[in-house]
Amino acid sequence: MSKELNLWLDKLLNDIENVKVERKSSRRIRIDVESDALPALLELLQGHASYVHLSAISCVDWVDAGEFELVYHVWSYETRSLVSAHTRIPREPGIYLSIYDLYEPAGFFERDIHEMFGVYFEGSPDMEKFILTEWNGPPPMRKEFDSEAFVNQTFEFEDYRPQWLQDIEEEGGGITTRPEDVR
Amino acid sequence: MSKDDLILRKERQLQVELGQQRSNPLAHVFDNLVNFCRSRSLFMLHYCTGCGAIELPPAMTSRFDMERLGIQPMVTPRQADILLITGYVSIKTLKRIILTYEQMPAPKYVIGICSCTVNGGMYWQSYATAKVLKHYLPVDVYIAGCMPRPEAVIEGLQDLMEDIKSGRANSWKKYFHNYDYYLGNQQQLFGEDWQTPTDIIAEARHYDLLTEQTLGEHTALLEKHQKPLEALEMRLQGQKQPL
Amino acid sequence: MSVLHLILELILMPLVAFVVGLALVLMMRKIAARLQRRVGPPFLQPVYDIIKLYGKDTQISHGMIHEMGIIMAVGGYIAAETLLPVPGMSGLADKGGLVTLAYVLMIPSLGLALGVGQCANPNGSIGISRALTAMLAYDVPFILVIFGVAWMYGTTNLADMIAIQQQGGPQTWGIMQMPLLALAGLLTLPAMMGKHPYEIYVAPAEIATGPMVEMSGKFMGGLFVMQCFQLYTVGVLYTTLFLGGGENWLTFLLKVFAVLAIPMSIAYLFPRYRTEDVLRLMWKWPVLIGLLGLAVVMK
Repeated sequence: MSKELNLWLDKLLNDIENVKVERKSSRRIRIDVESDALPALLELLQGHASYVHLSAISCVDWVDAGEFELVYHVWSYETRSLVSAHTRIPREPGIYLSIYDLYEPAGFFERDIHEMFGVYFEGSPDMEKFILTEWNGPPPMRKEFDSEAFVNQTFEFEDYRPQWLQDIEEEGGGITTRPEDVR
Repeated sequence: MSKDDLILRKERQLQVELGQQRSNPLAHVFDNLVNFCRSRSLFMLHYCTGCGAIELPPAMTSRFDMERLGIQPMVTPRQADILLITGYVSIKTLKRIILTYEQMPAPKYVIGICSCTVNGGMYWQSYATAKVLKHYLPVDVYIAGCMPRPEAVIEGLQDLMEDIKSGRANSWKKYFHNYDYYLGNQQQLFGEDWQTPTDIIAEARHYDLLTEQTLGEHTALLEKHQKPLEALEMRLQGQKQPL
Repeated sequence: MSVLHLILELILMPLVAFVVGLALVLMMRKIAARLQRRVGPPFLQPVYDIIKLYGKDTQISHGMIHEMGIIMAVGGYIAAETLLPVPGMSGLADKGGLVTLAYVLMIPSLGLALGVGQCANPNGSIGISRALTAMLAYDVPFILVIFGVAWMYGTTNLADMIAIQQQGGPQTWGIMQMPLLALAGLLTLPAMMGKHPYEIYVAPAEIATGPMVEMSGKFMGGLFVMQCFQLYTVGVLYTTLFLGGGENWLTFLLKVFAVLAIPMSIAYLFPRYRTEDVLRLMWKWPVLIGLLGLAVVMK
């Protein structure tokens, strides 16, 4: 039964235009699709191909290309395989449609991505902050936000030079690996 | 009498003149008794922040029994003496820690377990954690590690017990003495309208712990933005009107 | 008995109760520790706890009624101690009796309810309503048992009951003459002590220790003292009714400790029942066994 569905799915997806399908293993399929065709593809997968479980929505920040890549992972209990649908949206307005009417858990993931990346999902029920409620700065997961520089500017560290370290340094030793060299 | 006794007597006389010690040598018997009992019966607050909390159940259960030192967990801050800050302190958690700390009755002790409370630890580059805990709360003992083993935790607690028995663990008074400094650091993180339900300045006045560092520019800001507290609105399920 | 003698006894009986109660609290914690394969606290631990709690430097009080509640809670038990005869002192035992004792034992819970109500913490209110429900639950078998015992001996005077039992020897002890009532009393004992599985009012993880949620410093010290008195009262009452009181202090203390060790050992093996389950259980088995015992006694 699952083999038939897989064959059927491969044939169907290869027939649709503007969709790039790559089967990574027997349980993983990667689909790259245009941003305006994604909701229709998800509806097709949910209704006709038994992919009823939304596992996650993740976001990747491609700064040089000026795009956000949104990845929708959907799982099927019948075929026991995962389809990852990748789509790219332009970084500048950073607005996309919400798929809350298709999958209810999407509201939660979209709220998280809005908080961390700044992408606005139209039609999502709740766009309030819930993790970074004390945070007033830019969306922190964007690549142009330098966390270390922010920390060095805002917080003060303790100057830690204990006696045992000073004794070692007097004898000629000391710390050999500085943190800056390791990164 | 020996030379040590002479030196001790001279020191005590000097301290009596400075007003630090009482002249009756028997006056300290009661204080010593109470300090001894405080050190042998510590109630820790069963609210352990962060990931280091996983080292506390092993310290409480049968292998490294903490109850033989007199330490038992209590659930509300009103009953607890020790506030254990285990692990990293995110800004969200720090607000709740300060609220909890101010609700505890004195004398109270703060122990910073794990390296993240010392100087940032593993998450030092994060935009959402507080780096040095003692800028926001007075800390008595630090136990470094990531995580420290239960033996290390118990050794740190024994250090605290020694400090309490000798009367050195007075960091709760530091909060009242230097409230302006701590409030300034807290306002830098939480904004200028940060206020807690506990009125620290009134408490400091009541218990005679006010110094010239208690009030300052930050407490003036607090006074400017202070709103009276309102009770939470309570409503039964399905009702439109609040109770 | 002269007035001076009486006043001396009225002062000494609660003091003795406090000291024995401290030892009972220690026994409880040691049993709990040994059952959990731990060592447990040192010998003077209850004393350290109480001195530390009274030695707090700042206090948080919610008003006059908060303090009155604690005074009522401890005072009710102190009044109960003067009605319980011990070897050598009988205080007011012949003026009051079982009925007065049953009334006086209700005062602590009601006083605590007053104090907790003033605290205005929802956890405290839930906890004290559970405590009063538990009191309702154990009072029914308790009254049955003491009614049966009073009928059997023909008197409600505790000193007379002890005299009757000690005159006849061990075969006239309550536990030999009315075994069913003794069993019902033993089943009610954990509920009166407030130990698992009937420990619904102190629920540390559910309602943040219930009535004690806003008690700090001297209030908590008062409640620790109340716990000492509570264990002592319950143990001595059971010993007086069913085990023949005590001829001298050694046998008396042995009996009290042995009686209280039984529910304490069972307590730490059980989780907590729900409130309605406590009511149902208390009104089913101890009441049935008590009624059977009553029928046997009254025949």
